[in-house]
Amino acid sequence: MKPYVPEYVGTVTKYVFVDSPNTTPQDIATAAYEIAQGVMIKETCFGCQITGSPEDVDRIISHLRVLDPYRIFIKDRGFPPGDSRRCRADLGGARPGYLGHEYEMSFIRYISHGLEETGGMNKTSLKKAAGQPLPLEEPLDADLLEKLFSEET
Amino acid sequence: MSAKEQPVRIAQITCGAEYSGIQNEITSAAETVGAKMFYPDVALKDVKRAYKDFGLPVKSPDLKLAIARAQAIVEGRIEADGIFIASCFRCAEAAIVRNELRRYIVENSKIPVVSYSFNERTGASTLLTRLEALSTIAKRRALMAREVQVGTTMGVDSGSSTTKCIIMQDNEIIGTGWRPTTDVLKSADDVVSLALTESGLKLSDIDAIGTTGYGRFLVGKHIKADLIQEELTVNSKGAVYLANAQKGFATVIDIGGMDNKAISVKDGMPGSFTMGGICAGASGRFLEMTSKRLGVDITELGALSMESEGGENVPMNSYCIVFGTQSLVNALAAGYKPADVAAAACHSVAQQVYEQQLQEVDIKEPVIMVGGSSLIQGLVRAMGRMLNTEVVVPHHAQYIGAVGGALISSGFVDKKVKEA
Amino acid sequence: MAKVFIYPATSLILSDLVARFGHEPLGSALSIREHVQTPGFDSPPIQMTSEDPQKGLKWAAVEVPSGIRGRMALYGPLVEEAEAAIIIDEPDLAFGCMGCARTNELLVFMLREKEMPKLELRYPASKEEGVTFVAKIKQFLKELEVKE
Repeated sequence: MKPYVPEYVGTVTKYVFVDSPNTTPQDIATAAYEIAQGVMIKETCFGCQITGSPEDVDRIISHLRVLDPYRIFIKDRGFPPGDSRRCRADLGGARPGYLGHEYEMSFIRYISHGLEETGGMNKTSLKKAAGQPLPLEEPLDADLLEKLFSEET
Repeated sequence: MSAKEQPVRIAQITCGAEYSGIQNEITSAAETVGAKMFYPDVALKDVKRAYKDFGLPVKSPDLKLAIARAQAIVEGRIEADGIFIASCFRCAEAAIVRNELRRYIVENSKIPVVSYSFNERTGASTLLTRLEALSTIAKRRALMAREVQVGTTMGVDSGSSTTKCIIMQDNEIIGTGWRPTTDVLKSADDVVSLALTESGLKLSDIDAIGTTGYGRFLVGKHIKADLIQEELTVNSKGAVYLANAQKGFATVIDIGGMDNKAISVKDGMPGSFTMGGICAGASGRFLEMTSKRLGVDITELGALSMESEGGENVPMNSYCIVFGTQSLVNALAAGYKPADVAAAACHSVAQQVYEQQLQEVDIKEPVIMVGGSSLIQGLVRAMGRMLNTEVVVPHHAQYIGAVGGALISSGFVDKKVKEA
Repeated sequence: MAKVFIYPATSLILSDLVARFGHEPLGSALSIREHVQTPGFDSPPIQMTSEDPQKGLKWAAVEVPSGIRGRMALYGPLVEEAEAAIIIDEPDLAFGCMGCARTNELLVFMLREKEMPKLELRYPASKEEGVTFVAKIKQFLKELEVKE
């Protein structure tokens, strides 16, 4: 077996996603470049990826979050950007994780709305909002199903 | 592979390969045979639609993705030369999806497909033959389409148990050689000289040579073969040729010394195939052990087994070769007749092949049994009963790989004539 | 700052909310990063080798498929490290590391078994539910600070 010598050891990579009418992925990337100071920034269709020491990456992220606080979302990534092992061009298709992002981005506006609304809440109203039901979807009870069925027929 | 030649593109439809630590084994095996694995590119909406259309309510997201990837190929949105479907060994959910996707692809496209279940110990060498077969079908369609042998050609099958050689001339078999495999090259040399002697020819009289079997690369290089090809495609081609079933559907079963192969063939071209891999239990090796325990030569086991009605009443389980041998010993100790035990061993192997391999291909008549084990009549009878059909065993069935090699390599005769 | 296991472990939303509200999200990326940044034998793409399913035997028996044991080698250490967990019901469209339903079942069970603060909820299906969703997570994470 071939030995493996890793690259970018000790760095972290974070995805920055933006879904906003006011801020484009390019705006995010530009803002990141401005304060990059040698940290690797890669512009993507959804925002950018930042690779560097944990401190450097945190510094840039804190700066970016302020630009559009409710519509910028950040997540860790295991691979450095453009890694051929995960690259669509090399694999022929998107890595599975891409579809998971696609799914969450389809309703991320609800999260943005939630962040905006809860942003101004005091302790009491936050507690109250958190107490609202958001039930886990229960499967239909068999008796209820039978009742509904008999009502229909 | 020449620099200009495009690699064969094999679509990977798998679940769990990366997390089993074997993705690199798949990729490397493909590269070795001049192929490239790729993930069919689908979007989330394709996954949702495919999941709904296909109708199999699986829970694992990666299996939903597998369904979408298969659909994208079948619907022609993504092109592929071959499809490799694989999932974790012992995963029931994935086994259902794997089987249904294979069936769906075979019924709705002409793309060859191989299905497989792996574990963390699956290595590139195990995958090689399967991926090579996919690559062969894509790259050598013209050679594989050959139905008549021309010129004087030789096929050598360097198998795990035995080495075989066939010499053919103008569509007739004129020389044969057969030896147990000991030293791979020496066994090959021996069978070649046996076949040459029988045919009355010299090596220089041979127009083209094809090799197959486990030792195909080594032997191929040694005897300067024109064609070196895996046994899945070579054997299936040899089988339909000898059984005169080159048109329409056929199912080829080859119970080998170390693994069993089941190949579903259409118009002489393998469509889907499977090959035992995780365990060598229930292979021809078990029948060898049975004959040793019964004190008869393997060539006599067939006749002995036919003295029994079928041996279904004898407790026997060849799922594992170790426990199988134990049940053999127990049966003899319990007073069962050697003939019944021999028949029971045949029945058990047939049952295992039915359960493990034949579920992965579509059984269509004629069912052709080939390889040395097809000479054991009790095994053929047991398989026929299992499948409720008359199993065809063509002449020279034990030489199947060598016949296939001689037949396919005759494609090089025309080429050589042209070049001359 | 508490270490909060996020389930789905690949979730952008959970990873963001946990970090945004001052805690450390524990998800797949951390384990994958460790694999990708550790020298050893070359095994692309995610540098998992046959040793990972073997390590997974700590959490799942040998008859459990290799893909599950391999995934457990990614998650098991994170669950052990976790001080709290947020669990989303039925992540049926999270792929890759979260692509196996059987692994996910075992993972949820392990999280539920562990004595630590947990929040179980589902994804929001409207703007209004978005408020409740974020409020629940924010409140849960604030309470973790108090406990600390």
